[in-house]
Amino acid sequence: MPLRLTRPTATVLLALSRGFRHGFDILDATGLESGTVYPILRRLEDAGCVRSEWEEVERAREEGRPPRRYYELTGTGAGTLREALARYPEARGTAVPGGLRPRPA
Amino acid sequence: MPRPPGFALVRAVRWLVPRHLRDAWLAEWEGELAWGWQRAERGENLSAARARLHWRALGASSDALWLWRRHGATEMIGFDLRYAARSLRRRPGFVAVVVLTLALGAGAAAAVFSLVNGVLLRPLPFSQPERLVAIQGRATGGDPEAVSQPSSYLDYQDMRAQLRGFEQLAAVRGEDVTLTAPGARPARIGAQLVTASAFPALGMRPVLGRPFLASDERPGAEPVAMITHALWQRRYGGSPAVLGSRITLDGAPATVVGVLPDEARLTPETEIWLPLVPGPAEESRATHRFTVLGRLRPGVTIERAAREASAVAKRLEERYPSENAKRGAAVIPLREAIVADARPALLTLFGAVLLVLLIGCANLASLFMARAQSREREMAVRAALGAGRARLTRQWVAESFLLALGGGAAALAVAWVGMRTLVAFVPTAIPRAGEIALDQPVAAFLIGVMAVAAIGFGALPALQYRDASVSLGALREGGRGATPGRRRRRMRQGLVVAEVALATVLAISAALLVKNLWQLERARLPLRPDGVTFVQLQLPQGRYSDPAKVLDFFDRLRREVAAAPGVRSVSFAFEHPVSEGWTSSFSLVGRPEPPVGMWPESRIRPVSPGYFRTVGLPLVRGNDVSDADRFGTPGSVVVNEAFVREHFPDGDAVGQTINRGQMWWPGQPTHFRIVGVVADEPFRGVGRPADPATYYPQAQFPMNDMWMAVRADGDPAALARTLRERVWRVDRDLPVERVQTLDELLGDAVAASRFNAALLALFACAALCLAAVGIYGVLSYGVEQRTGEIGVRMALGASRARVIRQIAAEGAAVATAGAALGLVAAFALAGVLRSLLVGTEAQDPVVFALVPTLLVAVAITAAWLPARRASRIDPAGALRCER
Repeated sequence: MPLRLTRPTATVLLALSRGFRHGFDILDATGLESGTVYPILRRLEDAGCVRSEWEEVERAREEGRPPRRYYELTGTGAGTLREALARYPEARGTAVPGGLRPRPA
Repeated sequence: MPRPPGFALVRAVRWLVPRHLRDAWLAEWEGELAWGWQRAERGENLSAARARLHWRALGASSDALWLWRRHGATEMIGFDLRYAARSLRRRPGFVAVVVLTLALGAGAAAAVFSLVNGVLLRPLPFSQPERLVAIQGRATGGDPEAVSQPSSYLDYQDMRAQLRGFEQLAAVRGEDVTLTAPGARPARIGAQLVTASAFPALGMRPVLGRPFLASDERPGAEPVAMITHALWQRRYGGSPAVLGSRITLDGAPATVVGVLPDEARLTPETEIWLPLVPGPAEESRATHRFTVLGRLRPGVTIERAAREASAVAKRLEERYPSENAKRGAAVIPLREAIVADARPALLTLFGAVLLVLLIGCANLASLFMARAQSREREMAVRAALGAGRARLTRQWVAESFLLALGGGAAALAVAWVGMRTLVAFVPTAIPRAGEIALDQPVAAFLIGVMAVAAIGFGALPALQYRDASVSLGALREGGRGATPGRRRRRMRQGLVVAEVALATVLAISAALLVKNLWQLERARLPLRPDGVTFVQLQLPQGRYSDPAKVLDFFDRLRREVAAAPGVRSVSFAFEHPVSEGWTSSFSLVGRPEPPVGMWPESRIRPVSPGYFRTVGLPLVRGNDVSDADRFGTPGSVVVNEAFVREHFPDGDAVGQTINRGQMWWPGQPTHFRIVGVVADEPFRGVGRPADPATYYPQAQFPMNDMWMAVRADGDPAALARTLRERVWRVDRDLPVERVQTLDELLGDAVAASRFNAALLALFACAALCLAAVGIYGVLSYGVEQRTGEIGVRMALGASRARVIRQIAAEGAAVATAGAALGLVAAFALAGVLRSLLVGTEAQDPVVFALVPTLLVAVAITAAWLPARRASRIDPAGALRCER
């Protein structure tokens, strides 16, 4: 299934590239609804633009909560992001305060 | 760890997520929600955070739906369907039975539904039809037939001036007119005489030209006409030049000013519209011949309009006591006014066909259950290999979906053929027949039936796997799961009992209708119809304005026809023996004058001398009207036996005098002496009681519209040709549209009864066959299941006859239970049928006794084959099979 490059898709890609990796972090960063973001993540994963992992159980246990899933951009995803930004240059402005979060290892 | 807010929402939709992804999906959402909640607990506004988490959790449903579409639906459904198709291909007999049952059952139901939809349900083809109503006359007390539904023109005008709840009010009256044109045969066509207000009232717009204007209604206005689109196409080739062209109607010229769409017709016969120019008949408040229709103002309810109309009718009643006594007003939806008479018959037929469908479905349900049982092992294996209940259910639903798809396609074809056939045979008494079509609602009906069938039949077998032990039992070699087996057989027997009950109801209804029809067809008529032909003649007022011309025409025509070969007698009558015609009021000389508004009425039937002889109506007493009766001689009249029964129950009517109290032609007598009494003609339909009728001599009652009655030897078709030619020898511009034998006229009078009886009988036969198949199926399956048991019993000395008796008794028991139930239901439903029966008791004891007996007999016949098979069981073989 070819990936539909919508504007929210571009925003989600941008958020991922800026280091927002968890679903709710992306929601916070982009201001999009969960019903929009999650299907986008699924599509991106299907298309090979992102891959998902689980954070380590130890770390979650330390914080007293269940482990979270995180997503990260693949090489294909980086290319798609460039394409998306070319199509929606204004997305740069809307998405996300910059800066990296510590990557969950 | 407590569940974070919103997690319950996520859990609620987790079923959408394909099973292999479900746990991970749930964990992901739980992780996010827990993280979000943990962060919120560090100082945020807690209730706002809770709301936000709930809101986000709601989004999980989109996520789950996406995953369902991506992984669950498409791939698995494709797989299920392929698997189902393979498994069905191995059982072509099963597929054929299911598809055929669905096709015939649902197809027939859809065909009848197309009738119900086109006639009863579909909105009238006018703009905002829900605001269209008819105002009908209704008796304010007592006898509902004392007041005619149509209104007088003057009442219409008063209503129009006084009613506030209506945007528009219009008066409409149907009539036949003769359209003549150079070079073409004169044609008799249906006309609607309408007030100009009918156009805004109905919301009709011409496709060409202009509607009528108030100025067209003024007496002396230039005569104009509008034609329907169909007539425009047929006669004028759709040329716009028709506007402004002159046509000849009833011998008088009129200018075509517009073309109306065909949908605007109020009756199927309407082809021309004429402005209603009030004449002398419109000046009498006692002449009720207009349908008053109106468009309610937006927001005005029918109830409010009815209250208002009743109030106006009350005022009219007080102001004109002699004409409007007891005359109230009712407001009903216009569609209701058009279709009310057709409703009981159509709904009964629809109910009947639904019963057939239901019986068919009961058979299929039984079949599916049997199939599920025989595939128990396959299912058990699949379950053991890890297929969940949902998976197995999907498997069954996929199979029934494919079957419903095939059945639906076949049903569509059956519905189309059925609909065309029904429309071809639909009696003229059913209005709006032209609007019957296989359209969207019918398709929706068919799809609905098929969807219910697919889900129902798919779920039935799946229900049987509720018990895990059942499937495990099936895996054990030889395990037959005795208890669930018995339960299932009970279920199937229950289905068959229901089938027989439904078939009994249908068969009793059909038998009542057929018996009624049979009685109608051979009702002892006082007529001798063979060899009698009727020809409708309508002399246009324009050329035949004076009685002398009218009588001269009929005199010359009688001589022309009498001279034709084979003709034995010729005479004329107003209308024919099965036509209701008109009634008019009179009083009897020498009796106290009846109170105002209570004058007796009788049917008016002007006849020429010899009419009674021509149609074979016996003269019971006195004499026929004679050639000596003329304008200027004392009036004579012949009355029927119903008249004598009503007005002279114990005296001789002959010699008494009727006072009509009015004169329709200058010089017409007002007093008529009764000279004879004839037997009753079936005016109101064969089998219905006759009303009082008065037969005036044609010469003293010179109507322009008459029927010629001819008794002749030889071929009726050749005679019809001869009669047309003879009419045209006298007047070559006179249309001769209807030439019918008296047998045909009598046949038409029972056409509606015949249509209902034929369809219901057809449905009842289908129901009977289906019920028989159902009994056969259940018994033969039972025999198959109990081969071992029967074998043991035979080995222990049970005789073949005993085995046969036992199986047949089982069939008879099921059938008797069903028939008893059906009997009760039919008894309760008899009231519904009463409106379709003419003069027969709806609770006929013979029918109620015979039909169930017949059904039980059929059931025992159906049980015969399985019983014989059981009796042929070889005990040794059966025991060897017993595992």
